[in-house]
Amino acid sequence: MSGGAAARISTDAFTVAFVAYLVAVLAAFHHLAFRRRSAWTLSIALTGAGALAHLVSVVARGIAAGRIPLGNMYEYSLALSLLVVLAYLGLVEWRAGVRTVGGFVLAFVLLTLAVAALFLHVGPAPLVPALNSYWRQVHVGSMIVSSALLALGGILTILYLVKEAGERRRAARLRPIAGAGVDLGTVPELQLDGGTVTEASVPRRGILPPAEVLDRLAHRTIAFAFPIWTFGIITGAIWAERAWGRYWGWDPKETWSFVTWVIFAGYLHARATAGWSGRRAAVIALVGFVSLLVTYYAVNLWIVGLHSYAT
Amino acid sequence: MADARTHTVTPRWWAASVGRSVAFVWRSLRSMRTALVLLLLVGLGAVAGSLVPQVGVADARIAATFRDHPLRARIFDQLGLFDVYGSWWFTLLYTLLLVSLVACIVPRTRAFVRNALAKPAPARDLGAMRHYAEVVVPVPPERAISGARRALRRRLFRVRAPGDGRALAADKGLAREGGSLLFHWAILLLLAGVAWGKGTGFSGQAVIVEGETWTEAHASYDGQIREGRYFGEHHSGVQVRVDDFEASYRMTGQPRDFVTRATLFDQDGRLLDRVEIRVNHPAEAEGVRFYQFGYGWAPVIRVEREGEAIFDGPVVCEQRDVPDGVSPLQVPWRCVVKLASLRPQVGIAFELWPDSRGLLSLLETGQVMPMIVAYAPVMTWEAYEGDLRAELVQSASTLDTTAMRRIGSGVLGAGETADLGRGITVSFLELRRYTVLTVARDRGMRIVLLAAILMLIGLLPALSSTRRKVWVSAEPDGAGAVLKVGGFALQRGSRFEEEFARLVRDLERAAAGVGP
Ligand code: HEM
Repeated sequence: MSGGAAARISTDAFTVAFVAYLVAVLAAFHHLAFRRRSAWTLSIALTGAGALAHLVSVVARGIAAGRIPLGNMYEYSLALSLLVVLAYLGLVEWRAGVRTVGGFVLAFVLLTLAVAALFLHVGPAPLVPALNSYWRQVHVGSMIVSSALLALGGILTILYLVKEAGERRRAARLRPIAGAGVDLGTVPELQLDGGTVTEASVPRRGILPPAEVLDRLAHRTIAFAFPIWTFGIITGAIWAERAWGRYWGWDPKETWSFVTWVIFAGYLHARATAGWSGRRAAVIALVGFVSLLVTYYAVNLWIVGLHSYAT
Repeated sequence: MADARTHTVTPRWWAASVGRSVAFVWRSLRSMRTALVLLLLVGLGAVAGSLVPQVGVADARIAATFRDHPLRARIFDQLGLFDVYGSWWFTLLYTLLLVSLVACIVPRTRAFVRNALAKPAPARDLGAMRHYAEVVVPVPPERAISGARRALRRRLFRVRAPGDGRALAADKGLAREGGSLLFHWAILLLLAGVAWGKGTGFSGQAVIVEGETWTEAHASYDGQIREGRYFGEHHSGVQVRVDDFEASYRMTGQPRDFVTRATLFDQDGRLLDRVEIRVNHPAEAEGVRFYQFGYGWAPVIRVEREGEAIFDGPVVCEQRDVPDGVSPLQVPWRCVVKLASLRPQVGIAFELWPDSRGLLSLLETGQVMPMIVAYAPVMTWEAYEGDLRAELVQSASTLDTTAMRRIGSGVLGAGETADLGRGITVSFLELRRYTVLTVARDRGMRIVLLAAILMLIGLLPALSSTRRKVWVSAEPDGAGAVLKVGGFALQRGSRFEEEFARLVRDLERAAAGVGP
């Protein structure tokens, strides 16, 4: 296959994946609102098909450039979003059996892909010598895998915070009537109707999964990602030593990956700290998510450093 | 304090108060909340360091801040914001974090060791456990228990059989706390390695022209060196003879590879090694590493007066102030020859075009083109006489002409000679390259790497394993026995539910002597 043909296949597959995800998002939100199983099935099928096209796009890109397609921001975004999709399918849908968060995850994926296509696209090309290292491949690979997992954890954390706030409001509404000590998970949604309590005509369990489930899922995802991020920083330091003669130099990219690491370490601590688990820990994870985005986008695009020639 | 009574108790009151304060600080440092806050503050400090230009990373931007916003620059400077990672407050923060870390993990380690040495304790009331099951097995209690014991061992539980052989206490998941402790101790080891390596090491830059030999010693760095606080001047004396430097580029002007081929000798001139130093592939000799950093051009120039050489050798040319967005390959190189021994002194400034087509293209079409190889190189020169003002500190590649007068200029191709008048001639003999190597020694690197690996090894079980406890007892029931199983998990209780069910099934089969 010629490089040009591979490059064209890569962009075409990108388009296919994008459209598939777009329709999958609509199906997922339809499922969220109306709970038709067929809508969920459709969204999963489209997500799978999109992921396949996505994979083709990544591989074809690698063939076109004649190297592993992890050389610039466009390629990082492509790989990252694919991994978010795979992690979502594997961890959230398959392993945890949570069926109602796909729309949000895929919306994030679509946003990532759109930013990549609109602002970050560059043609496939070989790498400059400093980037041409085995350690770099390992480093970038693990950073992308852990970023994808942390991003998924971030999305779940946001959903958790939303749901948790909803549950607290509901508890506050119910408390005067039901009294404390009621397991709200078992009480159907109630309505205050002219001072008398009536069960709502359609008892709804709320749109999102219970806050506790989201919290647990977010924590598992982040705890899974954290050692991989640690490994990524270590291999990055090894590469930096080979390339620049120092393993750590507080270069902006290094600094921000450290900051993100410290914040998620803070999150793991918070979950073990009395009075900090739950909402406060989630807020720390959210700050970590923002820090991840800064590490990923802002540092490469706006803050200069030795890493900036990686863009 | 006029009261005599108060006087007599003061020392003890004071001591007790200090004792209480120390105890309070120690307790605070041990608390998880303090650790959490300190951790987040260190993160915040690091953010400040990435947003404000830092010494050693972005010196030019610091200078610009001082020029354009003097007040802001002074405030930043006072707060240590230009050198966050060396500032007193960042040091204080991470020192507190370290003290806190030690305060946390010392008692945790003690408790862990105690816990690991002690066997699992027997339980009184199995029925009150979060998970509980009863099964009937067709064998006597003692056989049931020994079967259960095998099954638990197979599942890597630690098992203890207290008393009469009719009960078991088992637990699993010590790796969680053990891993966590290993991780936290390894952080300390890592920082020790960093401090030791940086403190006893150095890092500098060597500029070596092809064909020349450079000696690894303090004076050879021309000030381009940072030495650790405890370095103590122990340079290796290794000699580096650069045999050849090669830079290859793609058609697009994108660099492909930079290689310095060098021969290394020890300080007594004995051959150590022949090496190829390229980006990502440093060379090492006597604990010192050599990294490819950059390169440039060095024309060999001879200046004669009345036929007698007064300067002869390669001159290192540099590129300064390359505008943003312009490839350095398109920009000519500058260098200077200073003849301080002449009266009046003479200085010659050169502008080197390693590929003369670059100069021609600029003159004819106004277009710049990348100069990748040496191709009929030319230099333009301008000669001055007067006072070089050599007493002022100045860069070797700039000429301070404020006290000088121009005496001539021209163009010089390789192999040509120009006449400056006053009996002085300057010849451009040949063009060579020079290589720039980062030279560094960091003895802590192995420790840091080891610590990082230990951190990772500790982290995996710390985050993935869970602590579980299980108790089994057997009571006679007709010809067989009733097996009672109770247990709980300290983490991820919901997942333990399934594991517990499987475990009970396993125990039942093992106790009955069926299956594995
Ligand atoms: C130097 C900064 C520190 C970092 C980067 C750090 C990082 C971490 C990480 C990543 C974890 C989760 C993995 C594990 O369970 O081992 C953790 C857990 C833990 N850390 Fe730290 N830590 C630091 C300092 C401290 C300090 C000062 C304390 C003292 C309070 C502490 C106490 C703990 C405890 C008790 C756990 C176990 C939490 C659990 O049971 O899940 N750490 N730490």
